[in-house]
Amino acid sequence: MTAYVIRRLWQMIPTLAGVILLIFFLFNWVGGDPAQVLAGKISNPEQIANIRKQLGVDQPYWYQLWVFVQQVFTFDFGRSWATNEEVSRILLTRVGPTLTIMVPVLVLETLLAVVFAIMVAYVRGSLTDRTIMVICTTAMSISFLVYIIVGQWFFGFILGWFPVQGWSESTLRNVLNYAPLPIFLAILVGLAPQLRLYRSFFLEEINQDYVRTARAKGLPEKKVMLKHVLRNALIPILTNVGIHLPSVFVGSFLLEVFFSIPGLGREIVTAVNRSDFPVIKAVTVYLAMLTMFVNLLVDVLYKAVDPRVSFK
Amino acid sequence: MKRPAVLLAACLAWAIAAASPAGAAVERKVLRMAFRTAEAGFDPQRVDDRYSVGVCENLYEPLLTYDYLARPVRLVPLVAESVPAPEEGGTRYTFRLRPGILFADDPAFKGNRRELTAHDVDFAIKRFRDPANRSPYAWLFESKIAGLDALAEAARRTGRFDYDARVPGIEVRDRYTVSFKLLEPDYNFLYVMAMPNVVPVAREVIEAYADDTNAHPVGTGPFVLKEWVRRSKIVLERNPLHRGYELDARWADPADAWDRAALEALRGKRLPLLDRVEIDPIEDEQPRFLAFLNREHDLLDEMPFAFIHQALPNGKLAPALARQGVRVFREEQPEVTYDVFNLNDTASGRPNPVGGYAPARVALRRAMVLGYDRDREIAVLRKGQAVAAQTPVPPGVVGYDAAFRTAAQDHDPARAKALLDLFGYVDRDGDGWREQPDGSPLLVEYKYNAGSQENRQLAELWSKSMADVGIRLEAMAVQFVDLLKDKKVGKFVLAGSAWIADYPDAQNFLQLLYGPNAGQSNESGFRLAAYDSLYRRALALPDGPERNALYREMSRLMLAWAPFRLGVHRIFSHLQYPWVKGYKKHPILYTNFKYLDVDLVAQKAAAQ
Amino acid sequence: MSSVTANCAPPAMQESPGLWVLAWRRLRNDRVGMVSLAVVAAYLLMMIASYAGILAGDWNKEKGVSYANPSFLAGAENLEAKEVTQRDFAPKAKPVDLSDIDPLAPRYKEWEERAAKIAVTEVKRAESLPFGGDKWGRDVLAKAVKGSEVSIFVGLTAALFATLIGTILGAMAGYWGGKVNDFLEWFYNIFTSIPYILLILAFAAVFKRGLDTIIVILALTGWTGIYRLVRAEYIKHCGREYVKAAQAIGASHFSRMFVHILPNASHVILVQLSQHVVSFIKAEVILSFLGLGVPVDMVSWGTMLAEAQNELVIGKWWQLFAAGASMAILVTGFSMLTDSLRDALDPKLK
Repeated sequence: MTAYVIRRLWQMIPTLAGVILLIFFLFNWVGGDPAQVLAGKISNPEQIANIRKQLGVDQPYWYQLWVFVQQVFTFDFGRSWATNEEVSRILLTRVGPTLTIMVPVLVLETLLAVVFAIMVAYVRGSLTDRTIMVICTTAMSISFLVYIIVGQWFFGFILGWFPVQGWSESTLRNVLNYAPLPIFLAILVGLAPQLRLYRSFFLEEINQDYVRTARAKGLPEKKVMLKHVLRNALIPILTNVGIHLPSVFVGSFLLEVFFSIPGLGREIVTAVNRSDFPVIKAVTVYLAMLTMFVNLLVDVLYKAVDPRVSFK
Repeated sequence: MKRPAVLLAACLAWAIAAASPAGAAVERKVLRMAFRTAEAGFDPQRVDDRYSVGVCENLYEPLLTYDYLARPVRLVPLVAESVPAPEEGGTRYTFRLRPGILFADDPAFKGNRRELTAHDVDFAIKRFRDPANRSPYAWLFESKIAGLDALAEAARRTGRFDYDARVPGIEVRDRYTVSFKLLEPDYNFLYVMAMPNVVPVAREVIEAYADDTNAHPVGTGPFVLKEWVRRSKIVLERNPLHRGYELDARWADPADAWDRAALEALRGKRLPLLDRVEIDPIEDEQPRFLAFLNREHDLLDEMPFAFIHQALPNGKLAPALARQGVRVFREEQPEVTYDVFNLNDTASGRPNPVGGYAPARVALRRAMVLGYDRDREIAVLRKGQAVAAQTPVPPGVVGYDAAFRTAAQDHDPARAKALLDLFGYVDRDGDGWREQPDGSPLLVEYKYNAGSQENRQLAELWSKSMADVGIRLEAMAVQFVDLLKDKKVGKFVLAGSAWIADYPDAQNFLQLLYGPNAGQSNESGFRLAAYDSLYRRALALPDGPERNALYREMSRLMLAWAPFRLGVHRIFSHLQYPWVKGYKKHPILYTNFKYLDVDLVAQKAAAQ
Repeated sequence: MSSVTANCAPPAMQESPGLWVLAWRRLRNDRVGMVSLAVVAAYLLMMIASYAGILAGDWNKEKGVSYANPSFLAGAENLEAKEVTQRDFAPKAKPVDLSDIDPLAPRYKEWEERAAKIAVTEVKRAESLPFGGDKWGRDVLAKAVKGSEVSIFVGLTAALFATLIGTILGAMAGYWGGKVNDFLEWFYNIFTSIPYILLILAFAAVFKRGLDTIIVILALTGWTGIYRLVRAEYIKHCGREYVKAAQAIGASHFSRMFVHILPNASHVILVQLSQHVVSFIKAEVILSFLGLGVPVDMVSWGTMLAEAQNELVIGKWWQLFAAGASMAILVTGFSMLTDSLRDALDPKLK
């Protein structure tokens, strides 16, 4: 096991190198000129050149790349070009709100999806099953944008159950007041695809031979479902959660823009629009490493769930 | 037993969370509002976006400012004792500071009271030219003050700005007196000294916070920055060390209802009356509007145009809002939108179909201007909340001529078509589109900001309008950053633009067409000797009929040669709930927190 | 006495039906599947009609007043349609004369004469349209139809390309393993490590705007899921006997990959293809919201929804509804069809 983990850690290095190269190439070759954004309404070429000098983009490419690599190892990406805020501080302060929204979404979505999927798999083929599946499919065919526009207007404004937008310093207030509406809308749109997916996982297990054996042994159906099917379906479910885990940290920029949540998703879109390279660099590297670690964690968890799994 | 304790704790937490933050023991006056764009920071020499400067207005004090009520706008002294008269033919301005003005408390002052001195003014002006600050307003002091350019150049070479060096053009005569010597006469210099980010700052603070000056603003203003969650929340609180203001009623207009209301609310009282201002930056329109309707905010500046018919159906306040006592202030802002033609012969390395000064090219540009349906833009896109611009100079600035009217920019497809036919722009190959007089195909590229829904709709209108007169126009969506650059370096044929007054003088707008400004603010590259000489002559004159005549001539030249298609001056509506008192929107200043009052009883009653 | 006659025909050889025939039979029995198929077919027909110009050819024509009411709400007040002019702000002076400085002045007289001869036709605008009008007065129904053409086209083409890329790369990785697999896995890891939004905006910056750009962006960012699945399929199949048999008969690598194995993995690929059509249609909406959507002279569901953002609050709900509903119906139909297809191709999963 340890050898496997160490080998996986080593393999992260070439991937990280690839990410660094790709981002560097994308930014320098196709990215917009940040100096133009930072220059005032009236600026002459000398001022633009000065800004480029202050930002360090007038240096030769190999030097900039070297600086980038150093930054990755020291985890210090300097300051945002647009606001001069320390990038590490940007990441730390924005991750909180994003997680406050996305973690409940992930947890609730997974729980609800698993519960409903088991229930639906239990009554597979019946009218209930079909009806729920049709409702699910319809629910996920409506654009997230529509959910947000209508949801904010209806629940926030017409009914007045929640504030229309906003965020506060107190986590408790956020969880009770500001987060519920965005979380609700995110679950509305995200639950259906998860439900369909998990239903197919459960059905795949139900059709296995061991289930027939268990039933033949005389086990009640409920026990069959909960004790045997669920456990075996956990692997693909875990994989799926693992695939979605990194995006939990990015957050949904649509939600953050419409509900004025100071999260990471909105920050990324703004950074790209302003060609704020330090922020882009930091977020990409941070997310790349997160994705790799999460993948490793999920693989290790496989073994805990299913001892039959062996590592190559 | 653990359970009841947990339950009790949960109840307590609920109660604490549910308690409103401002309803604490002391009755504090809190104003809540939204900004429509995000802020960057509060170092006055490093920011230029609308609301960063707007917050700086309250944290710092410039030498001069504008009177709250006087219209047209009027300069009054703030930390200076009086508004100086220009000396030496408009090349020297001497300011005397009021003694006893204190900076807000800050650890950088090591527990001492810090008085404002003339050295702080000197330091601040120099900061604009320090390359390390890359100030977006460096241009205000370029080729302006004697000796400053040399110092900036030395800083560029050595990499360090010498703040201790004496600049001949900034004479600190004594503790409270500073005199500026300009390289050339400039009668708008006083306006520059009233800009909210041309403010004295304390050197100790700047040096103590080095890279983080945006987050540690320390000024002499009536408010201090209490809390700042970037792009999420800005909280200002009253500065206890501030000397206080009083409303100057000298230039109030007794016939104006807003002036009367302001006088009644503020006369004789020590300003500012607000204890706390809470600001949420909300860029999207629906949440910003709904937050106001939901009473999460007390006022809504610059109501989103999209909802104008909700709030003001048929030009009258909607019954639902009128019932709550909401008031609306309508304002034509000193800004102008316009489209820029690239007047160079080539654009992006290819021949530019609209460039040049030959009559045929002028005809093409004039025809395009006549073909564009500006009336529909105002009626449909702007929902009537705009006025067609007649000159590049907007109302509310000195030098604006309300009587100036032109027909050259009106929507007239018949005249557009006739003009095109006349100069040889006809459809020879029968594909439905006009060609150039020499027979080569005519394609005009219009670049617009991809990220803006409004800009996309303007592009749609351009496309339709030109199709109506037979000109083939291709609308290209470009990323904002790239659009900025493309316009600066002339990599465009036609693009939209806008300009808002930095200071209330027509010169700030007419410089957009001044030849030597090409490559900077003169995006079209317009170079007309007649225009340039008029501009230089106007620079040397103070405000008066002679200068206004020159401005009029410059407008006529612009209309004839058509480097711009003039757009509109937008009309903004500002809404306030009845418990906000003393409100009057100033055309140049961005915020008016110093002059607002809140009726706590009414505010609380409405919160039920 | 019976005799064996020569012309006693032997029982006819029964050819066992192939995978696709069986699948079709199963699909035919699935009612929901057939309904979905009908819905999708209807949309495709509509798309072809729209492309040929039979339907919604004049979608760009401003037939109605601004925000024309739908016919079933014909009488309601339409404030946007009343042209509002700010009379108190407009100057009332005589227009200024430019003739002394105007380079066009010598031809003023000619110009006026010509202009007088050109007739200006006043367009009569309808007060109400079948399902209402948008801001410019264009028919929302026509826009929805035309929009479906563009959106479906984008979804289909992008999904095809993404599937192509994912399949080829997945086949290569799964079949050859070793260094090829390592390289492709490395490439895949990089792609999935970069936030989706970053990739989109980066690609958008490279390519010139246009319909093809959106398709390219979607394809280049969407191939990863297909790659993963195809690779897994190929790994599974590579060890199977029929592949070894193919090798024995001398089939080339290319032949083995795409003639022998591919058909066996095709049901997975097909399901992935249709799932990606759905997700790309939805992604196009987000791209349009960001301003990276179709160009100005085209309409898609995404541009309709982006326009409709601010229309709900002012009570003009029809564009939001039309685009949202027509998209929802197609996507639901397509998804259910995908499910039925999967059930038909792999009945064990039912």
